[in-house]
Amino acid sequence: MIIGTAAERLDAREKVTGAARYVSDLVVPEMLHAKVWRAPVPHARLLGVDGSRAARSPGVVAVCTATDLPVKRLHYGPAFKDQPILAHEIIRYAGEPVVAVVADTERHAAAALALIDVSYRELPAVTSAAEALAQGAPVLHPALDRSGHFRDLSGLRPVAGTNVCQHYHYERGDVARAFAEADLTVEDVYHYPALSHHALEPHCAVARVDGDGLAVWTGTQHPFPVRKELAEVFDLPLAAVQVIVPLIGGAFGGKCYTKIEPLAAALAARVRRPVRLALTLSESALTITRHAVAVRLRTAVRSDGTLLARECDVVLDTGAYADIGPRVATKAGYRAPGPYRIPCLSIDARCVYTNNVPAGAYRGYGVPQVTWASESQMDQIAERLGLDPLAFREKNLLKRGEEYVAGDTPMDGDMADALAQTGAAIDWGRARERGRGVGLACAMKDGGGTHTVSTAAVRVNADGSVTLLTGSVEMGEGSRTALAQIAAETLGVPLSAIVVESPDTSITPYDHGTSASRSTTVMGLAVEAAARDARGQLLELAAKFFGTEPEKLAIHDGVVACGERTMTVGDVVSGHFGLVGGEVTGLGTFVPGTWSGSLGGATLFWEVGMGAAEVQVDADTGEISVEKYVSVADVGQAINARECAAQDEGAAMQAIGPALFESRVSEAGHLVNPGLIDYRVPTFADLPRELETVLIENRDGPGPFGSKGVGEGGTFCPAPAIANAVARATGVRIKDLPMTPERVWRALRDARGTRRG
Amino acid sequence: MLGEFDLVEPTSVAEASEVLARHGDAARIYAGGTELILAMKEGLIRYDYLVNVKTIPGLAGVRVNDDGTLRIGGATSHRALERDPLVRERFPVIARMESDVANVRVREVGTLGGNLCFAEPHADPGTLLMLFDATVRIERKGGARTIPLEQLFVGPFETCLEPDEVLTEIVVPPLPVHSGAAYLKFGFLERPSVGVGVAVTTDDGRVREARIAVGCVGPVPRRMREAEAALAGQTAAESRNTLAEAGRIAARASDAITDLHGSADYKEHLVGVLLRRAFEQALASSDGSGAP
Amino acid sequence: MNAITMTVTVNGEPRELTVPTHETLIECLRERLGLLGAKKSCDVQVCGACTVLLDDRPVSACTVLAFEARGKTVRTIEGLACGDELHPIQAAFVEHGALQCGFCTPGMIMATVALLGENPSPSVDEVKHYMRGNVCRCTGYKRILDAILDASRRMAAAPAPA
Repeated sequence: MIIGTAAERLDAREKVTGAARYVSDLVVPEMLHAKVWRAPVPHARLLGVDGSRAARSPGVVAVCTATDLPVKRLHYGPAFKDQPILAHEIIRYAGEPVVAVVADTERHAAAALALIDVSYRELPAVTSAAEALAQGAPVLHPALDRSGHFRDLSGLRPVAGTNVCQHYHYERGDVARAFAEADLTVEDVYHYPALSHHALEPHCAVARVDGDGLAVWTGTQHPFPVRKELAEVFDLPLAAVQVIVPLIGGAFGGKCYTKIEPLAAALAARVRRPVRLALTLSESALTITRHAVAVRLRTAVRSDGTLLARECDVVLDTGAYADIGPRVATKAGYRAPGPYRIPCLSIDARCVYTNNVPAGAYRGYGVPQVTWASESQMDQIAERLGLDPLAFREKNLLKRGEEYVAGDTPMDGDMADALAQTGAAIDWGRARERGRGVGLACAMKDGGGTHTVSTAAVRVNADGSVTLLTGSVEMGEGSRTALAQIAAETLGVPLSAIVVESPDTSITPYDHGTSASRSTTVMGLAVEAAARDARGQLLELAAKFFGTEPEKLAIHDGVVACGERTMTVGDVVSGHFGLVGGEVTGLGTFVPGTWSGSLGGATLFWEVGMGAAEVQVDADTGEISVEKYVSVADVGQAINARECAAQDEGAAMQAIGPALFESRVSEAGHLVNPGLIDYRVPTFADLPRELETVLIENRDGPGPFGSKGVGEGGTFCPAPAIANAVARATGVRIKDLPMTPERVWRALRDARGTRRG
Repeated sequence: MLGEFDLVEPTSVAEASEVLARHGDAARIYAGGTELILAMKEGLIRYDYLVNVKTIPGLAGVRVNDDGTLRIGGATSHRALERDPLVRERFPVIARMESDVANVRVREVGTLGGNLCFAEPHADPGTLLMLFDATVRIERKGGARTIPLEQLFVGPFETCLEPDEVLTEIVVPPLPVHSGAAYLKFGFLERPSVGVGVAVTTDDGRVREARIAVGCVGPVPRRMREAEAALAGQTAAESRNTLAEAGRIAARASDAITDLHGSADYKEHLVGVLLRRAFEQALASSDGSGAP
Repeated sequence: MNAITMTVTVNGEPRELTVPTHETLIECLRERLGLLGAKKSCDVQVCGACTVLLDDRPVSACTVLAFEARGKTVRTIEGLACGDELHPIQAAFVEHGALQCGFCTPGMIMATVALLGENPSPSVDEVKHYMRGNVCRCTGYKRILDAILDASRRMAAAPAPA
């Protein structure tokens, strides 16, 4: 049984030897190089571009503005077609691509940028969601053109005449009455900052126009949605657009949906040669960001700790273009109450345009932001009521089988048990000395994506080797290996027999994308179905050779056995075709159900993530030291024991960044810290003395072998767990991230002042 | 991307100085390049000529005179200082400070002379070395001068060097007998946000002399002489009581600015905290052999 | 001069190259020599994805100029394994799950080679200090630390070829 083992990653060897080829390593014959001139101001009317000096610069082949691009549609976007490939008439954020240069070398293209003259007239800019919502704020997108790409986005509710491009609202129960009758009402506002994904490989795409078609190699998590977007940009049939994704150097949501592909493709079409567009790390930070979120949370509770009502007001800064912000806002709203039983709810989540860099998907997808608020407040409530924070949560946690929202999948895990394990792992009951504290948090998200389809194919070759065709992108999360394990186990062949092809929309069957913790479950089910299909065919063929029924046969380790008689899988295939050739192909598709819960579709599984932190606070400097962090993930069944735990650990460490020191800093719409010198990501120095992941495996997930999705849960809890630990260690509550030493010091000082005064 | 330039590789300081004089603003000394090449790649500065001082023999290396003075060639790497047995034995606080500069790759290539001459405010070496009353030898064709290190720094990214001058040596006298020294820094960004160095010389239970240097916080690293005076002559116990006041004096004198690294008032507060902690460490290591 | 002709020994092989003075070592390795293992990422010497060994010293190839390799040895990730046999550090990385997307991995491994070459039995704190300049966005560092400590034990038991 290969499931649940620590099988070696399929891509491990190539990655440790330097043989692995990422999209930025790719060389396409005859390719030219593109560089982008970016807007220096956040909001302006574009008056004119003079690229003549640049065009005469050595090696330059073309200098293009929006009107020079041979496209049928200039605008793209997964929710609204609001984002132009190059700025057209209006510049909406500092860093927005305005002019593109194509040259024979990167150096020549970069040198030409300095020779471009752009004239513009600055307009008043709104550089925060609050400014964008204020009376009289400029409306950045007066008319919105829905993309119509995704079913769950068909019900978007922008507010006309404002910068709100999506307003999610949900309510149930008599909220007003619940607040009136509550023993305690608590209201607070929390802030979560914008973050840069900083995957180590920046965005990169190579595009080539082939006769009537287009091929694009790109680091994307969504090859098929990108294909659709490109097809619409160029008015081509889907079959004429090919999107290929080799290994990519990290993504974390920053490579979701369409990014630089239309520009690379349009330039390739313009110059009739392949064009490579490789961004720098700083440029990637000017392409996409995490939503900065403000959460106002008001909670009504009984003195015994029973949650009665919650009012959540969530405001997301989606930047100049919506990207997938409307869905992030909807999900953030949906998840804001937390994993609890709360009879009365009133939720408003608004996705707001500003003149900042566009915000989109980022690991956790709104959950880290709303959980920062809700799990901080849970501890504040517990303190006011004199209750133990763990017991207070346990009392209100949804039980297995309980509904979160009417019509959606009931809770499919045992959260009370997960919470107990979290508490045990941090030794919750033991008192800590002054300046030291423990805190915990729990959260969940509806995992697997909404209305997403996956298809896979398993091709059994005549020598018994197997080609797995899947659109899942290998960006480090290990889907390539997990899916191969699922295929191997289901088919009955050794893992070493499986080769997984890179996603290629012309070859690998349709898949929605690699995000939302969906690949192990949704694509896994498709792979399992494909492998089962192939296995069934093999058994039918083998049965003929053995002169028996298929049910009497077993395949194990690549060998079909009928009692004592055996035959290799390869021999079955080649024997059937009568020569060393031919193949048996299995196909599997997973189409989600079509219930309608609040999100318009039933949740496949609940990704439950909990965390506990032990911290030491230096009262003089305000520095927080995380001594121990425990992350608990309910994964159903780990397909690969090691990679599953590794994903959760990595998620936790990544989220410790914004808890303590990581954030984008912008001044008047200008990103002050695009690169790594002034943007602090977690390093070895931040690794806690103890970092532990606990995987809960109750085999109660919908995926193959009882699996659920994993990969995002670890990001939910570090910030509130640490804040709760700090509060218990020092008595101060911090509501804005990151909890830098200065913030902590100021809060401690203010608290001392308040006590004295 | 890095612009084109002509590389000049002199084999003597005089030759280097001559080239620098000839090309003025169009030329710059190139040692490790960890700051220079970075700024050139970003397009912040550009030069037509880079004068490689690594090809000048004798410009890198560490020596200790008979009187205990440490002599560091301008082109000596941070890593060489970090690992040099003599530095570690006689000036361990300097070796420790060097070991925490940036990361190991920057330390392997970056030089002390280059670091001091680039005069990035958020840096460590200048702050600590001026605690020792270090001097720097500055040579040009036809002459040389020696100045206190503190005078080298004029402003952010600005030194008192003439265009044709080369910083060839950093001379670090030993601290007096019965001295201890400590350097503490703070910050969570790539470059340090606050750096405080303290050296204490004791005499029969009294602080004969206290030296305090503060860097990273203001435009240049500086000795805090007013704060030093407040501590001089006190017993160890008395000095502890004066530390808070000394910290306040030093904080005010540090010219702290509010930037990405923090607010001015927080930095001033940290100056006080680090001063207190560094003082305790320096005092503790002043007993005994005297190696700081 | 604005170009330098030099001999560099790259992964044990002497190469004669002429490089413009403005060419960085990573440009030389990737574009001139086709050694794509070292990666360009932050480009400001912070992330370490470009780490290679220059005369056995770890350097940021993104900022070291190519001509600085003249007369020296350069070791990249491609020169580490012995045919099909992985170096103990590579093997330890594989076994401990010390890589996910793998983009930081060549640099991380070369930095480890330098670390263990200098300090064959580092403590946890010594590893954290030395490796502070190699950023990983995926793993959270714990497994990399485990791999490095394990590799040091393996190499002490059976010294790897230089």
